[in-house]
Amino acid sequence: MGEIGDRFTGLRERAEAAHAAWRRPERPRIDVADDTSSRANGARATRAALERLAGERGAAVDLGRNHGYGMQWVQPLVTITWPDGASVLYGPVRPDDAAAILDEATGRVGAAAALAIGVLAGDRPGIPDIRDHPFVAPEPRERRLLRNLGLTDPESLDHYIATGGYRAVARALDRHLEPRAVRQLLADAALTGRGGAYFNTGVKWNFLAGAPDAERYVVCNADEGDPGAWVNRVILEGDPHLLIEGLLTAGYAMGARHGFIYIRDEYPLAIERVERAIRDAEAAGLLGEGILGSALDYRLEVIRGAGAYVCGDETGLLSSIQDMRGMPRIKPPFPAVSGAFYKPSNVNNVETYANAPFVLRHGAEWYHRLGTAEMRGTRLFTFSGDVERVGVLEVPFGTPLPALLQACGGIADGGQLGALQSGGPLGSMLPASLLPTLNTTLTAFRAHGGSLGSGGMVFLSDRACVVHFNEFISEFVEEESCGRCTTCHGGNQRMTEIFRRVIAGGGRREDRHNLELIDVTIQQSNCQHGQLSPTVMRNTLRHFSAQYDAHALGHRCATLRCGGMTRFVIADQSDPALADAAAICPVEAIRGSAGARWIDDEACIRCGACEDLAPRGVAREAVPVAPAIVPIS
Amino acid sequence: MPLETEARAQVRALIADLKPNDGDLLQALHRIQHEYGYISREAMEVVAEQLGLYAAEVYGATTFYSEFRLEPPPAVTVRWCGGPACLVRNGRGIRDAILATLGLQELGEQTADGRVGTWLGQCNGTCELAPMMWLEEHGHWDEARVVGHLTAARAVRMARALRDGASVDEVTRG
Ligand SMILES: Cc1cc2nc3c(=O)[nH]c(=O)nc-3n(C[C@H](O)[C@H](O)[C@H](O)COP(=O)(O)O)c2cc1C
Ligand code: FES
Repeated sequence: MGEIGDRFTGLRERAEAAHAAWRRPERPRIDVADDTSSRANGARATRAALERLAGERGAAVDLGRNHGYGMQWVQPLVTITWPDGASVLYGPVRPDDAAAILDEATGRVGAAAALAIGVLAGDRPGIPDIRDHPFVAPEPRERRLLRNLGLTDPESLDHYIATGGYRAVARALDRHLEPRAVRQLLADAALTGRGGAYFNTGVKWNFLAGAPDAERYVVCNADEGDPGAWVNRVILEGDPHLLIEGLLTAGYAMGARHGFIYIRDEYPLAIERVERAIRDAEAAGLLGEGILGSALDYRLEVIRGAGAYVCGDETGLLSSIQDMRGMPRIKPPFPAVSGAFYKPSNVNNVETYANAPFVLRHGAEWYHRLGTAEMRGTRLFTFSGDVERVGVLEVPFGTPLPALLQACGGIADGGQLGALQSGGPLGSMLPASLLPTLNTTLTAFRAHGGSLGSGGMVFLSDRACVVHFNEFISEFVEEESCGRCTTCHGGNQRMTEIFRRVIAGGGRREDRHNLELIDVTIQQSNCQHGQLSPTVMRNTLRHFSAQYDAHALGHRCATLRCGGMTRFVIADQSDPALADAAAICPVEAIRGSAGARWIDDEACIRCGACEDLAPRGVAREAVPVAPAIVPIS
Repeated sequence: MPLETEARAQVRALIADLKPNDGDLLQALHRIQHEYGYISREAMEVVAEQLGLYAAEVYGATTFYSEFRLEPPPAVTVRWCGGPACLVRNGRGIRDAILATLGLQELGEQTADGRVGTWLGQCNGTCELAPMMWLEEHGHWDEARVVGHLTAARAVRMARALRDGASVDEVTRG
């Protein structure tokens, strides 16, 4: 082992000591999960209550921090770790539960039993192992990318190093492993881009490695604009050093000295954690000049986005980095030839880079142990919509979709699945009937004109309206068009107008044909935003043809969601809650007096506030359709 | 070069360390918005001088990104989540209820007295709380209050209270 190895061993020994003390603390420690989702669910109030009570009691406990375990529906999450190394996850822990948690931590076994979710480490009789929880059933027994999630302090470089972090990259530097060998390893592992296109990453890295200019950039796409996808956020907030190590691996493998991490504006905590991780890595000699005493210089810089979906497109992102509007560029030239500041660049998704350290650490064969022959490894998915359990999972490629829906506890409130909307606004809309044929591979989704996407899976119940959902998608893609191509901004405007009219009850016979025409036209746009913006609509016309026709031709919405075909009426004059309903209506559409109320349909905006307060007194009903005039042919 | 006013000097000091051709534009705009709540025309001119860009380029970029504001913000911003999980739980109804209560036509507008405004928010992956919105107080942009598991009725009540002068604390208490 050379000098570099020695230096790293020094870091590692210190880190291992710190981590060992964290794993087996001298006195019980209570970690309150701290991440965007935990905070939104009131984790800080829980923490404040614990702090206050522990202070009052003079309790012999410490308070710490971790990231939630991925189970977002039971937040706020709290972990207790005892001196014997046992660790248990609890949730949801409200401020009122502080006493129970403190009691449990300080030795009153069973005080918080009702809140226990699972054992994270060691053994606690009567509490099941967290890995036996039905939510994580589709995951491998050992997580890869998420292996530190909920088990370490995301702001601790020591914890990351002690769990194997930076070891592979230090070894590569120490042994002067050829950058080419690193790229080959990735190509052999068949790691593919997690931004949605699933292109071989090792092959892509060869493009930049072969560029003529010495000045070149590694760029990390952390724009994660797909609504309903937050897999990148979990890595950025939960294990930021994993990304830093991935980017360092990339810099080494492609000979770059500078990297940009472009993070969306909606993720302030992710920005904070990544910036801190960069500072800590620099202080430890893992970034900056002469990394670990080697000749390698490498710096990372965070760029904060400002709310533009199209900046997630790699060329839009490059424009945005270099002081311009985030307009996608025309390819070629590809980023490897002309990227950030027109210098050769390589753009990958957060999760793509995060995989690289594992490949370097364990090799391609290990990597192939999970996934399918077509797609190797695992990928993160986030689950939302009408499911019981919202959260994030890391599953091997090839995982059957029914298993994922089951992990999420099925459709909420005993409903039935209606549709799966995966891959964001440029992704797909597939019917429940296809679910048994779907698994997490490109082939399975493509067989039905769908796309696997970059992590977002939104399950819609059969009480949601897919046509109504299309209005949302088309409005989104129209709104986010950069405006360069008329096919895209004009086409998406037309698509939105049509859906808006259809859900308002004004569908026409020619609408389907026009939508199909718009579909082929938008595909002529320059960038993939335009090219992919009609895909959800195309899926809908194909897989939900009857529902579409019912709306556009029959002017009927079976789910009673579309305002133009649905109206609110008084269903039960005896419901005393009708007085509240009348008072809450923001447009004062509920007229008349007790016992003789009626809803002025002209004024009603279908917001549903009255229904919230008087679910018995108010009902939705289909607007009667004027009999169609059938032409004599 | 336009006359150096106190306001321009302040903006210039705020971004004094930023350089041309260094990928600093977004950062400059973020700093200014964080300080003033919006980006004035004058501020754009200073940014252009500092970063060696045309004012038109800065204006083009500022208006390209939906998070930059060109007008002084209201005292309270109701940021409505436009994401899919919120949509399937009556998100659109909630939006329309808020707008109607405040007498506004579309997101981005604010009441004439400048008390309450609306904004389109993007899903940030807290969908377990759907449908939701964020309440933001001017000057406290980093402490947005999340209001989850909304109903249209609750949204109307909150919007009415905000319109009538209540603080974010008051409407989210209890
Ligand atoms: C409109 C649009 C938005 C995109 N948004 C993202 C995004 O948020 N994150 C991402 O990694 N890729 C996104 N992509 C894909 C990127 O263009 C690019 O393919 C990806 O960053 C490459 O990284 P990978 O090879 O690691 O997947 C988007 C593409 C388009 C057309
Ligand atoms: S859809 Fe509203 S938080 Fe995700």
